[in-house]
Amino acid sequence: MREFEYLKPTSLSEAIAMRVRYGDKAVILNGGTDVVIQLRERLIAPDYVIDIKGLEGMQELTFDPKEGLFIGAGVTMNAIGEDPNVKEHYPYLAEAALSVGSKQVRNRATCIGNIVNASPLCDTGTPLYVLDAKLVIAGSEGTREVPIREFITFVRRTVLGKDEIVLGIKVPYIPEAKGIFTKIARRKEVDLSTICGTVLKIGKSYRLAFGAVAPTPVRLDKTEKLLEGRDLTPELIDEAAELAQTEVSPISDVRASKEYRLDVVKVIVRRSLTTFMQEV
Amino acid sequence: MKKYPINFFVNDEPVELYVEANKTMLNVLRDELCLTGTKEGCGAGECGACTVIVDGKPINACLVLAPEMEGMHITTIEGIAKNGELSPLQKAFVKHAALQCGFCTPGFIMSGTALLQENPQPSREEIVRAISGNLCRCTGYIRIIEAIEEVAAAYEGGEK
Repeated sequence: MREFEYLKPTSLSEAIAMRVRYGDKAVILNGGTDVVIQLRERLIAPDYVIDIKGLEGMQELTFDPKEGLFIGAGVTMNAIGEDPNVKEHYPYLAEAALSVGSKQVRNRATCIGNIVNASPLCDTGTPLYVLDAKLVIAGSEGTREVPIREFITFVRRTVLGKDEIVLGIKVPYIPEAKGIFTKIARRKEVDLSTICGTVLKIGKSYRLAFGAVAPTPVRLDKTEKLLEGRDLTPELIDEAAELAQTEVSPISDVRASKEYRLDVVKVIVRRSLTTFMQEV
Repeated sequence: MKKYPINFFVNDEPVELYVEANKTMLNVLRDELCLTGTKEGCGAGECGACTVIVDGKPINACLVLAPEMEGMHITTIEGIAKNGELSPLQKAFVKHAALQCGFCTPGFIMSGTALLQENPQPSREEIVRAISGNLCRCTGYIRIIEAIEEVAAAYEGGEK
C-alpha cells in the first residue's frame, strides 16, 4: 500500500470539513472491505483516508411502522441480516445482505458502502430500489435526501458531492408488501452476483429491480405498468417476462454472457411472479 | 512516515503500539507482534486464512487498517488454547484429522470457535455457512464439518 494519512474525525462537522479540505485526495473508509483491497491493489491512491464509522449515529438501525427502517452508514451486513425487524418486515433485504461475501466480510462490510460503491451488481441494491429508499446525505450546505434511483448514476458513479457524506438510508415500510430476492452466482457463497433481482408485490401492484444487467441497478417500469392492477395468470407472467428482457441492457463479462443474463432476467421474473400467483 | 499510537487487546493482553496507516491488522499481528499463526492467503478477504475474532465476531485481519485496531479486543489462534491445553475444537480437529497442510487451519478454528460461541449447537447447514469464507485446498471440508459437529454434539448447556 502506498503511504497515506489516516484521519478519524470525531464529529460530523469535522468529517465534512476534512472532505472539503482534501477533496479528491481523500477517500472515505467505512467497513473497508472494498477500500482496503483497492488501496492494496493501488486502484486508488489517496493521500488521506477518512474513517467515518466512529461518528455518532452511524451504527443506528431503527424501525418504526410510520417512519420505516433507517440503516446508519456504519451498520454491517450481518447486523442487517440478523436484525429481528429487518427479518420480519423486509426478509428479502435481510437475505440480500446475507448473500454478500463471507461471514467475516459481512461483519465489516456495510450496506451503505455497498450502495456508495455503486457497482451495478450491488447485492443490497435491488431490495432498496423496489422500496424507493432514500439516502440521507450531509454536506457543508446541510442535509438532503436523495432517492436511490437518482443517487446511483452510472458504474461506480453517484451524485455524492465532494463535501458530502452519506449518513444512512431511509427505507419506507409498506405493510402489505411481499418481496422475493434472487441472486444468481457462480458459487453458492462468497461470490459476486452474476445477476440479482428483487420482485415486490403490494396488493395488485408489482415492482421489479435488477442488478448486473445495466450500468446501474434498474427498475423495470414498463413491466411494472403491464402488471399494475391485474390478476396474475400464466399468460400475463409470460408476457411480463418477455417485456422485462427488453428493459435491461446487460453486457458479457467474466461472469456470464449477455445472452445468459437476458435469459436469467426472464427466469427470475417468471419464477418470482409464479410464486406470488401460487400463494394467492 | 507518520506513526499512529494505538491501544488494543490481543488474547486478553493489553498492547500499546505505534503503527503505520498503510499496514493491515494482519501485518501488525504477524510482523510487529510475531503472532504468525494468523496466515495470509489471498490478502483480499476471499480465503479466510487470516480470520481472527474481534469483539466476538470473526473478521478478516487483512481487511482492517492498522489504526482501526484502536480499542479492539482481538483473539488470534494463539489465544485459543488455554494453559497449554488445546480447546475442544482444536482437539476435535486433531481427532478427525481435519487438516492436511495446515495453512488454512487457524482460520477454520477461528471461524468454528466464533460460531460455537455464538451458537453452541449449530446445525450442519449453519456450520457450512459459517465456514463458507474459509478455503481449504487439501482435505475438502467434510472432516472439518465433522470436527465442529462433534464439539456441538458434546455441548450440554451451561459451560462451553
